[in-house]
Amino acid sequence: MFDRIAARALVPVGLVVTGFLVVCFVLLYAAIKEVVIRDSIGHANNLAGIVLKSTRYAMLQSDRAMNNAIIRNISEQKGVQHVRIFNKKGIIAFSSKAEEVNRQVDKKAEGCIVCHEKAEPVTVLGNMQKARTFKNSLGEEITAITAPIYNEPECANAACHVHPASQTVLGTLDIGLSREATLGSLASIRGQMLLFSILALALTSAGVIALLKMIVLAPMQKLQRYTERSLTDDTVAQPVGLPYELDKIAKSYYLMRQKLQQAEPEPAKAAERDTAP
Amino acid sequence: MEQAAKNKNLAVDEAAADARASLRQGLLAEIKSARRFANRGLWALSLFLMVSTLASRDFWFLPSPEKIVVRLGAPPTATIISLVLVLYTFSAIILSLSRMMAGIRHRSSFCHVGYLGVFYLFYYAARGLADNYWAVFGAGFTILCMESYRIWTFCNDLITKKSEQLAFLERTGRLPPEEPDLSE
Repeated sequence: MFDRIAARALVPVGLVVTGFLVVCFVLLYAAIKEVVIRDSIGHANNLAGIVLKSTRYAMLQSDRAMNNAIIRNISEQKGVQHVRIFNKKGIIAFSSKAEEVNRQVDKKAEGCIVCHEKAEPVTVLGNMQKARTFKNSLGEEITAITAPIYNEPECANAACHVHPASQTVLGTLDIGLSREATLGSLASIRGQMLLFSILALALTSAGVIALLKMIVLAPMQKLQRYTERSLTDDTVAQPVGLPYELDKIAKSYYLMRQKLQQAEPEPAKAAERDTAP
Repeated sequence: MEQAAKNKNLAVDEAAADARASLRQGLLAEIKSARRFANRGLWALSLFLMVSTLASRDFWFLPSPEKIVVRLGAPPTATIISLVLVLYTFSAIILSLSRMMAGIRHRSSFCHVGYLGVFYLFYYAARGLADNYWAVFGAGFTILCMESYRIWTFCNDLITKKSEQLAFLERTGRLPPEEPDLSE
């Protein structure tokens, strides 16, 4: 099989085009995935900021009812899985799920350990560090943002509050968002890229096969048939319409046959004619 | 006098037989070496598959990426590694195709396994191995298959040529005349 021109030419071309396309596809998809996930975490951080701004006034007023109402309303929004506010001790002060309120959370739990890994907790986090992903009890993919609630002059100076000015972080907001939309977008992008890659591969392969057959293989077969027939039939005509190089070979072969015929002695020719089928 | 001539003829015959035997041995050794060399690409491919298996299990025997970062400093980002991987794949394929066209005997397969292993390690340190594993695997598989194909076709042609020379030597007692260079 590998003796034939078609196999020798098409195997490396097919391998190179397919391999390079696969590499580019995977790398491009990984890059797009990173951008989409970074973007979705950016949006989640913005939402966490909105929640903090919304609850700020209620917290300054120490209005638990208003805080609860805000958190409950936000958690009713499609895609929001949970909203919790922890105090400094890790106790859930407000939650979209009423049964969670007053529960203590382990500082070594996922989402808390990012800041509480060392004896002195980290107080400033980047956007990506605030995010974590996990599967909830229903098996849904969740992105959660843990945003610190910083102490501000209004908080430290408020008459109803007891936070000293030296306390940097008053508590933490934890908001969980469904990743369904993000994963859906990624699946759609992956499908489209896969389709495009398969089409590009099929088109390239078909183009190479068609061109190779038209320019090389078909004329080569024509030349091959001519040389084979001319062994038994002196009258076979030289093929026309061959590409330049093959045409030169056909002409050289034709001239060689002519010279051989002229050089052959008459009895040999007669014997050849007698034995010819 | 007659005996001396006979002896001389005998000596000439023996010398010719020796020369033929040595040529025959040389050709057989070259065929054997080409047969061995033909499998080189497949050995490299097998080694690469082994390295890829380790990478697919997230290099469990290596220290964690955090420890590597603490010791060696921050690695390049996954995007930079990916860019370099694309450049490397492109150049390796072009090099392999050029060697195939020029018919050069080049033993490059195993160094590719090294380069690809380093890509796996960089992605591991940059925590991008899960997302980019198939890219390195695809690149390695393509490059090493190309190299295997190149080495295999090169050796096949060489074995055919040497076998024809061997047959000619057995028939005539000498090597065939050198083929004229028709490449230009």
